[in-house]
This record gives sequence, C-alpha cells and structure tokens, in this order.
Amino acid sequence: MRIILATTATPFVAGGSTQIVEWLHRQLEIHGHDVELFQLPVSEAYGEILDQLLAMRLLDLTQHGDRLIAVRSPSHLLRHPNKVAWFIHHYRSAYDLWGTRYQTLPDTPEGLAYRSAIVQSDNVGLQECVRLFCNSGVVRDRLMKFNNAPAEVLYPPLLDPGQFRCGVYGDYLLYIGRLTHHKRQWLAIEALRYTRTPVKLIIAGCPDPGAEPYVFDLQHLVAKYGLEHRVSILSRWISEHEKVELFANCAAAVYLPFDEDSYGYPSLEAHAARKPVLTTIDAGGTNELIVNGYNGLVTPADPELLANAMDSLYKDKDLARRMGEAGEQRIHDLGINWDAVITRLLA
Amino acid sequence: MKIGILISTVPFVRGGAEILIRALHAKLREYGHQALLVRIPFRWEPPQKILEHMLACRLLRMPGVARVVALNFPAFYVPHEDKIVWMLHQFRPAYDLWKTPYQGLSDSPEGQEVRDFIVRADNSYLAEASRIFANSEVTSARLKHFNGFDSDVLHPPLPYDHQFSCIEYGDFIFAPGNINEAERQLLLVQSMTHCRSGVKLLLAGKSESEANSDAIKVAISKGRLEDRVTFLDRFISEEEKVDWFGRALACAYIPYDEDSYGYVTLESLLSKKALITCNDSGGIRELVKDKVTGRVVDASPRALAEAMDGLYYDRAEARQMGEAGYGLVKTLDINWDHVVRVLTA
Amino acid sequence: MRIAWFTPLSRTSSIGRFSVAVTASLSRLAYVDLCYFDSQDIRESRVTARRFSSAASITADVWNGYDIVVYNLGNYLPFHREIYLLSRRWPGVCILHDFVMHHFFADYYFNYLHDSNAYSLLMQHTYGFQAPVGERAWETAEVVHYPLFEEAARGALGIITHSEFFKRRVQECFAGPVARIPLACDAVTRSTEGSRSEPSKTKLGVAADQLLILTVGHVNRNKQIESALDALAQIRSDLGSFIYAIVGPVSADYERELKSAAREKGLGDVVRFLGQVSDEVLFAYLSAADVCINLRFPITEGASGSLVEQMAFGKPVIVNDVGCFSELPDECVIKVPANSDGRVARALRRLANDAPDRIAMGARAKAFAQTEFHPDRYARQFMEFMWEVQSAKPILSLSDRVGVELGRMGAHADARILDVIAREINEIFVEKPSHTDASHR
Repeated sequence: MRIILATTATPFVAGGSTQIVEWLHRQLEIHGHDVELFQLPVSEAYGEILDQLLAMRLLDLTQHGDRLIAVRSPSHLLRHPNKVAWFIHHYRSAYDLWGTRYQTLPDTPEGLAYRSAIVQSDNVGLQECVRLFCNSGVVRDRLMKFNNAPAEVLYPPLLDPGQFRCGVYGDYLLYIGRLTHHKRQWLAIEALRYTRTPVKLIIAGCPDPGAEPYVFDLQHLVAKYGLEHRVSILSRWISEHEKVELFANCAAAVYLPFDEDSYGYPSLEAHAARKPVLTTIDAGGTNELIVNGYNGLVTPADPELLANAMDSLYKDKDLARRMGEAGEQRIHDLGINWDAVITRLLA
Repeated sequence: MKIGILISTVPFVRGGAEILIRALHAKLREYGHQALLVRIPFRWEPPQKILEHMLACRLLRMPGVARVVALNFPAFYVPHEDKIVWMLHQFRPAYDLWKTPYQGLSDSPEGQEVRDFIVRADNSYLAEASRIFANSEVTSARLKHFNGFDSDVLHPPLPYDHQFSCIEYGDFIFAPGNINEAERQLLLVQSMTHCRSGVKLLLAGKSESEANSDAIKVAISKGRLEDRVTFLDRFISEEEKVDWFGRALACAYIPYDEDSYGYVTLESLLSKKALITCNDSGGIRELVKDKVTGRVVDASPRALAEAMDGLYYDRAEARQMGEAGYGLVKTLDINWDHVVRVLTA
Repeated sequence: MRIAWFTPLSRTSSIGRFSVAVTASLSRLAYVDLCYFDSQDIRESRVTARRFSSAASITADVWNGYDIVVYNLGNYLPFHREIYLLSRRWPGVCILHDFVMHHFFADYYFNYLHDSNAYSLLMQHTYGFQAPVGERAWETAEVVHYPLFEEAARGALGIITHSEFFKRRVQECFAGPVARIPLACDAVTRSTEGSRSEPSKTKLGVAADQLLILTVGHVNRNKQIESALDALAQIRSDLGSFIYAIVGPVSADYERELKSAAREKGLGDVVRFLGQVSDEVLFAYLSAADVCINLRFPITEGASGSLVEQMAFGKPVIVNDVGCFSELPDECVIKVPANSDGRVARALRRLANDAPDRIAMGARAKAFAQTEFHPDRYARQFMEFMWEVQSAKPILSLSDRVGVELGRMGAHADARILDVIAREINEIFVEKPSHTDASHR
C-alpha cells in the first residue's frame, strides 16, 4: 500500500510522539509498504494556533496514497478520503488543562473563543476519520468526553523488544525516564529512605530543558538521607546498549509519574527484559499496563508503602521473576506488537 | 545554529531535489548544526489549489528556529525573520514554460489569474529573504528576468561522498542515468551508427518505460551495434558507477533543456572525463564549455558521432578536457564546505 | 479589563467632551486610560490622561499594557490623524462618529501624504472604477454617496456607531462585530443643575417673555440655517417677540452670507451669531432656550451630539426626518421632511404658540435622554460589546491576517479565493447547532 504518514512536531523539541512515528515508519516499510512521511512544524502559541489549523485544511493530500495515518495533533485535520488517526494527545490547554494552573489560554472571552474554535476544529477532523485510534485508555476517555469521538486503544509497542535480555534479578531498582518533576524520581528516593533491605536505586535519563534545578534537588535529597552509597543518578542520555545492560540486571523497574496519558516505554523495556514494574495508583496510563501482583506492584503514592514493595522485590527474587515473566504475557494480551498495530491501522 | 530546510513536494514523487535536501540535512548536522528537514505537501491541479497551498505556506510557523533555507515554490513563502532562499527552481509553468507546449498551467482566464497571483506573490515574498541563491546560472537568470531579483549562484555538490577518480582513458563513452525520453539515450545509440572509430557506448541505468527500452534495443539491432553498444537495463550500484566513470574515455549526457547541470555532469568532471552534451541541454552548459571541458554539439546523430570519434582519435585532448573540467569544479567551489559556510554565515 | 481610549482632547472638540463623560462612567467598570495627542487647550479628564507625541512614538510595551484599544474617529484630520494612524498599526475598536469621513481622507491624502494617486486608488478600491476621483467630491452633496467610512473601519476588531442606519451601512462592508450604542453626553448629568439656577434669559440679554430659539453646532451648509431663516420669515407675524441664537463656530464668509440673508428676510434684528462659546455660556443658552432647531441635510454625522444635549436639557427640537434623527421617538422631537421650510414654519408656529405643548414635549425629550443618552448606559453597553469583540477576535484577526496575505498576492476584494477561505474558516472553527449525536456535550 502507499501510505502517507503525517504528524507534527515543535522544531527541535524531541517529544513522545517522535519515536512512535519513527518506529511506525520503519515497521510499515518492513511490512512492505511505500511510506511518505510528512512531519510538519507547529507552534503551540495560542495566538498562532488557528493559522496553523487552517493551513492543515489547505494542504491537499487527497489525491495521493491509499491511506493517510495522522499521528500528532493537529495532523488529524488534514483531509484524505481514507484517513486514520492514531491520536496521541490534544491541544491540552483547550481541554483537560482548561481551568487548571497549566492553562495557557487566557481566562477571557478571547480565550474561550480560542478554546471553542480549537475544539470545533478537532471535532471536524476527527469525524472525518474512517477509523480513530489512540494510545491509551486515558486518551480514549478524553476523546469521548470532549469530542464525543469513540476511539479504539492501540498501544504503541517498542521498536525492537528483542534487543533486551534478562540477566539476573540483582540488587538494584532501575528508574529510567526523563528527569523532570512530574516523573517523581524524588518519590523513589523518599521511598528508599524507608526500606529495610539494602536495595539500591539507579535513576537514569536526560533532564528536561530547564530541569537542572530539579536534578540538584534529587542530589540534595540523596545527601540529606545519607543514601549516597545506594542511589546513583545518571543525568544524561543513556545509550541503547547501556539501557539493555541496566535492565538486564535490575531486580525490577520503578516508574512513578503523576497522571501521565500513556504508559512510558521504560515499562515495556522492563518487561522485554522480563522484569516487573513498581508503580503507583495515580500514574495514569501505566495503570492500564501494570496489574498489581501480576506483572508488577501498584501502591499508593506513599513513600513507606513504596518502600515495602521495594523490599519485597529485593528479598523475593522468585516473585520478581514470576511477575517479570508475566509481563510478556500481559503485553501479548494487550496486543502490544507491531503486527497488531499495523493490521489495525491498515484495516 | 538551528536551521530549518523547507521544500514543497508532491507526495510519492522523489526527484533530485529530495536527494539534495537529505544530503544538505546530513551535511549541516555533520558540521555541528541542528537541522530540521520540513517537506511540505504541494498540489498544483486544479490551478485554484496552487493558491491554497501558497496561503498554507504563509500560515505555517517555525518557532525556535534561527534560520530557514527554502528551496522552491511555494516553500519560500513560509514566514521567518531570517530566511535564505536557495532556489532550485521556481514554478516554471508560470514563467519560462508559460504559453509553451509544456506549460502545465493553461493560458485561459483562470490560468492567467493564477499566474498573476503567483508572480505577485513571488515578488512579495522573495523580498522577505535575507539572501537569495540560485542553483545555476539558468535559474539565477530566470529569477532576474521574471522577478527582478538578483541572486548568487550556489552550486549543489554531489549528495554523497563517493570518491570519484580517473583510472584510465578507455575506449567507451559512459552514459549513466535514468533511461527515458527526456535524456535522449536513443539519440546516442542512433549516433553510434555514424561513428567511424572503434569507440564504444555504455548505457547504464534502468529504463523508465518499456516502449523506450524497446526502441533502444531495436536501434541497436538495426544498426548492428551489438558489439559496440552495451545497454544495461538495470539499476547500477554506486561502486559500478564510480568504476565506469573512472575507466571511461569520456561521458555523454544529453537531456533536453535541464534547469541545472545535474549530478552526472559533476561526477564526470570529478572523474576528469570530458562530457559530451548538446546545444539544447540547458544547465549542463554551465560547466561544459565546448572544447574546453567537453563537447557541446547539435542534437543530431552526425554531430554526436563526430564528437565521440574526435575524443577516441585524440586521447590527449580527451585527457586535457577532463583535467580542465576537474579544475573548473575546484575553482567554482562546488563542495559542501562552501555550501554549509555560505548558508550558515 | 484595561482599556486605552484614544480621543481628541482639545476643548473645541465635542468628541473630546463625549470621551471625558463616557470614560468617567467606564472607569467604574474597567481600568481606563484616556490617551491623546493634542498639544494645547486640553480639556480636563476625570480619569488618567496620557499624552503621546505621535502614533509612531507608541511602542509594543505600551500596547502590551492594555487588553483593548479604542479609537474615536471623526471627519476632521487635525483632531484624528494620529489616532487613525495608530489604528493601522494596533487593531482595536473604532468608534465612528461621522458617517462621512471623506473630508478626513481627502485632507489626509492630498495635504498630508501629498499622494493624490493613493486617494484615487482608495476611491476605486472602495467604490469601483466609476468612482469620481478628479472632481473634489467632498465639496459637493454627492459626498454622501462616497462617505469613505469603509476605510476607517478596515482592520478593526469591532466598530461602534451611534445610529442604526450607520450600523447597517457598516455591516455591509465589515465582517467583525458592530454595535449601535446611543450617543451619550455629560449634559444628561449636568443639565439638572442648570435648571435650578436663576432664569437665565436675562443674563443672555433676552427678555423673559421673548421666545428664545436656538441652533447649536459648527455652522455648515448642511445645518440648513437658510431653511430656518426662511421658516422664521414666513411666520414672523404669527410669532411674538423672539430671538434666534446660532451658537457655534462659523467662517467669516459664511457668517456674512447668513447675516445678509437674515437682513433680506427682515430678520436682521432678531438673529444673533455667537460663534464659539465656552461650555458655561453654551449651557446657559441651552437652559434658557424654548425651542431648538436642529436640521441636517444631507446627513454626514453618525449621530448628533448637539441634539443629545438639547434633549437632555428638556427642549423640544425640530429635526429632519433623516438618518439618526428618524430613529428618535416621534413624541420626543418634531420630525419634518428635508428641504421643506414650510413644514419647519408650521412646527415653529405650533411650538411658539402653545407653551404647555412645547414644555410637555421638552419633558418627554428629557426623560428619554436621561436613560438613552446617559454616560453610564453607554459605558455598560460598551462593556457588553467588549465581550463580543474579544470573543470575535481570534477568528476575526485570523481572517484579517489571511486577507493581508491574499492582498499581498494581489487578490481583489471579490476574488474567489477569499470566499473559499472564508467558508473553510467557518467550517472548522464555528460551532454549528447539530441534531445528531456527533455534536459534543
């Protein structure tokens, strides 16, 4: 099939959707399709947003390709007779962030008018889709609530789970992820303080732009509790090779973000290495993947309760192993694989 | 520097411009810049669609980008305070192809109206550019003639790093490239029937249509040229191409009215091989000067045969022209170092 | 909400007086700065007044300090030029005081820019190729067919007019929000004080039993003074003693002409030309007047400030049945057709000889004015309109930006592409009432 893969990106900002699109592109080609990728620049500033939405309607791809797959908003506004959207997230300021301190639209009739225009344009674009998919239950619920648009959840898989391996269930917990406040690496450190076993913690990932103070805070926390011998913070980009090695020998992965839209790739990576995931009940999309006691442990976001879970994973290697192996089954049950994704996207 | 490369493109049409921009993207990053490649969909039929895409480009935004380099119409309409235009080609149906058999935009009242829009808009938005470059003398001259804008010529280098070299001056004329009617390989074959020397011809490339490849085969058999003309109707590898360039006596590249000189020309000159081309081949003549860096002859079998025989009989001249061509490429700074420096200045 | 209110503020500008009154009321509902460019004889403002040297001197950090900017525009270049220039750079809400803006633009293009070609292009762009460009249209009655208010409205975020007829005309050429708000004046709040003072006729040199007939405003031909003189001459014998006072600036030539006409009609001893007077003197005349004559033909204003004052002072007014005057309640003013001094004469005779009737009509006029022309009401309706303007701004400013780009590409006002884009904008951004389940919420 000739497929147009359309998405947007803020120039030079690597976001969550960059990987999905890149991997989808590669997988479509592996499956024998001819793919034309259009990655259009987009500015999130509300004063410019309507201009760009209009641009999406004027760019005409209708005469080409057997199917258009639109990923990041507002690419779902592009017209095509055979349009499928794999919807990742809304222009959130007009949706779930409206009325919160994260709202960037002004609290005026003008802001309301922007919001109304954005929502209306989303409705138009989404209604035109012959099929609508999204990356998590959280997003599916939002699409239904705000746009009255029923969507099917299509979980994004890793590009190459086979590169991960399982070594031993070692003495450390691994928290891979961007270093930024809402990922709550600080909560993992707070929890470690209450552990009774000598379990260690490795925190690894790139700090978000402007998050250097947050990294200092983490280091300060470690020093404050005298955990220097048990906590390592690798504040940098981690290569694939390093990541594989780190996952191979951890007891379990830790992932404690606050209310994220979808599970993060680190949880899939952990399971690819047959390791369980420790998370909290308020993590958001991760809660769709991790079932307490099955493929991981899920506790309230309380340091002492998290500490208990950490200790269990350290002491009971059998538990860790059983849950880690169940991870593979869980991924299979949820259809998190490229064959399934591509079959659905092209159906 | 954070640079955006902008190009308008019709989906699933992968031309030379695609290869160039990917090379530019890679080279900018190699030189330590952050580069973003932005391909913008374009549709030009019906004519009303052209206007809509012109407007769409005006509505796009490039936040956090220090400079944009736009390569064609209407990509150079995208607003930015530091915009460089490196014009590969304008919308030719509105300009040099207007009112010709190849026009692509009818001269009906509607077409005329759209043409007026394009010219006015081009003039308006070219004025926004901080610098304007053109990929060839031809493009630069057209820009001056139709729109009144001056531009510096910035020659596109080869989009890859293969090492071209001269191994020897053999006995065959090398004609690489896609085999199609515009490139007139059939004419080259027909010319061979008039050759008196033992010169051979190697056509190396995939034919784009069965009709065309059939015609070539028929011409070979009719002219009884089987042992003098080799027609490899397949894609050739880069290694093969470099090797054949290295061993050829000279090269032949005779497309009709090209905008710019084309990669074959550069490859030939970098291999120190004289290039045979025609009076009406267009941009190739920017680098190929008759009897200096190659032969420029009428697009007729006899003229081409005479050129091929001439080089066969006079190896020394063939070598001399090849050396001159190589020197010319060096003098003109046709390399990525120069391009990157100029675009990021 | 933070509002920058640009207005002429010279004492000789009635729009300045209007602005002072309205911003005083508005300041109870929003944060308002009164902004002006005039350099002398400045009227006192009741809110903070900011002076700027020119439109060009105003930078982004000024306008970033406001949510809305208001431009008061009128047909007189010296008062409104910098305001107009600023409106080109910084889109805001325009209050169009004058329907005919032709004199403003003629003055602007010929005497300020010295670019007669641009004037011709403007006329053709606005009215088509048949528009008269070489013929000094602003000096003829034809000017009402080429008012050029369209150019003042272009690019605004919203337009305010003071009459329905003008609002309709604006809506024909302007796609954004338009409001009609009845013109306000401070006479509404100040007139009550005047009536309690001593009978003011004697102070003005008018006998207590003399009928004082009053006309107020810039004395131009369209005020139809000749018509009023003709009417008075016709009924002279039916009226008792009267004085006809004409208050307002008048050119020396025209004054000579009118005085001569008055003498010819035998009215030389009862007609007084007072020229420009202070506010106190004006209010004294308004208090003391028995009848007001406020004729207009042709109409060049959007609404009549002098009429509003006269009604606020509780006076019966004779007006022409045109433009904004037609929109007034029949029981509050006497409307006569244009160009019929016979009807003016009859109205005058009626009012002159029936004191209870004219006093009752005046009372009705005053009651009407108290609510209709009160600055508080203007301020309230203005704020409601600001909501509408702000709501319209995202899509309106997008349409403007698109219009600018298509204009740069050479699109004329009727180009097909404009319709295509307008439809597109409407389809994706404007919520449609829907009967299907597909509508959200």
